Amino acid sequence: MSIIEVKNLRYTYGIGTPFEINAVDDVSVSVNEGEVIGLIGHTGSGKSTFVQTLNGLIKPTSGQILLEGKDIWEKPKEIRKIRFRVGMVFQYPEYQLFDDTVYKDISYGPKNKGLSDEEIDKTVRSAAKFVGLSDKLLDKSPFDLSGGEKRRAAIAGVIAMDPDVLVLDEPTAGLDPKGRDLLLAQIMQYHKERNNTIFIVSHSMEDISRIADRIMVMSKGRLVMFDTPKKVFSEVEKLEKIGLRVPQITKIMMSLKEKGFPVSDGILTVEQAMSEIVDLLKKEGRL
Amino acid sequence: MSFITAENIKFSYDEENKNVLDGVSLKIEKGDFVALLGHNGCGKSTMAKMLNAMLLPDEGTIVIENMSTKDEELTFEIRRTVGLVLQNPDNQLVASVIEEDVAFGPENLGVEPSEIRKRVDEALKAVDMYEYRTHAPHKLSGGQKQRVAIAGILAMQPSCVVFDEPTAMLDPNGREEVMKTIHTLKSRGITVVLITHYMNEAVQADRVVVMDSGKILTEGTPKEVFSQVNLLKKHSLDVPQATELAYKLIGVGLRYTEMPLTAEECVSFLEGVLR
Repeated sequence: MSIIEVKNLRYTYGIGTPFEINAVDDVSVSVNEGEVIGLIGHTGSGKSTFVQTLNGLIKPTSGQILLEGKDIWEKPKEIRKIRFRVGMVFQYPEYQLFDDTVYKDISYGPKNKGLSDEEIDKTVRSAAKFVGLSDKLLDKSPFDLSGGEKRRAAIAGVIAMDPDVLVLDEPTAGLDPKGRDLLLAQIMQYHKERNNTIFIVSHSMEDISRIADRIMVMSKGRLVMFDTPKKVFSEVEKLEKIGLRVPQITKIMMSLKEKGFPVSDGILTVEQAMSEIVDLLKKEGRL
Repeated sequence: MSFITAENIKFSYDEENKNVLDGVSLKIEKGDFVALLGHNGCGKSTMAKMLNAMLLPDEGTIVIENMSTKDEELTFEIRRTVGLVLQNPDNQLVASVIEEDVAFGPENLGVEPSEIRKRVDEALKAVDMYEYRTHAPHKLSGGQKQRVAIAGILAMQPSCVVFDEPTAMLDPNGREEVMKTIHTLKSRGITVVLITHYMNEAVQADRVVVMDSGKILTEGTPKEVFSQVNLLKKHSLDVPQATELAYKLIGVGLRYTEMPLTAEECVSFLEGVLR
């Protein structure tokens, strides 16, 4: 059953001005419950605009977004309800922390959802746990946290609303490799336990290739590919043409293949490459 | 005399906290392209702010072209000499039209209007934003904004530009464009200090400096630094995938002459062991 179905979505900025542009142009996708969808595309390709339509933050110029079969704009006055079900984590979410303690900040969503104090406490603590924030940090001011902790506190605030669909717009931007790996692992752990649907926008092909079930590739507002990481990253030329790159390791293995070595297509991780090469060396009795 | 000489820099943001910089000594030669690596909180960004007198050391000295950052009378001259491009372009754009934003720096330096026009056009072309010159910055994407911010610095014609993770929010194309811009600056003799988490960018530098807990962990050419895979991993830093693969293969008994850093080098390394 598809949880989100997007039909011929179009979003036009600056209608009636000389700068009129279709940021999202006739995009249709159907996403199944529990899928992790990666979104890639060059800056200005429409990824962020696209994800902002998913929770009704911006209203499509035309087309439809169906959440479990129902148009989210069917009752425009109730669009707020959609935002509890489709949680959105913006770029640099730490700039949106506002309350005087981390606890209060995370509890803002559940409170607005109308949960009891007891339920709020439970969801706040479990959300904090998901993102790896210890209990003692909850009483601190969010502004006393480190950059990585702030980011995680902001994500916890969205997770605390227990959304069925979680949208993350470049969640690892600006984090160091360690912080990035940790945050991705926590998101994936959360996904595993909750089995919700995740949209994740990223410029890191390495990250996307590791976690996504399917990848949406956007260019100039259009959806140009929608497939598994392996398939998508096999299309090196097509990706490069629209300003994207494949992970370095994928490129290395593709070059080897072009040079006549029997290695597979669409290698995405160093581990996969390693085992391919070790196999090759063993076959030739060199290892 | 080096272009930048930092000697035994110590610094903390307040008295309770430990030193963010804990005895950093660093020399940067004129025209060098130096990459500064290290995980968040290691002191890289603090160090960047030291280089144009945004922050002053508690102990130690920083001298830029014979100007000590401690001399308040020289602060203005130092900031003209060393331009700083920060992580978040939103904090760096001031005007409502792009070309006006880029002109802001040279205007404040009292540059002639005709010269400002020339510099603004050139700077915008260098970052490939010329065609957007009459647009409003708030309508740009994050990556485009960052390129405008870089143009704003270039228009002041500094002799050194310090980049604090300028590509963190850019797409791969944007990252390449910025790296191309950086190489252009270098070829014009501008000294470049690049703080980055992308190892593929760091390998393009002449020299790599790795910081950890406010100290310098190791420095050298990219080859020298990235060959120390164990050390870097121990301090939870990345190496390029090309290097990681070669390192793993060496771990199972393969030999190498030179550690590969780029995709091309890795391919020829693999060809060598497979043929």
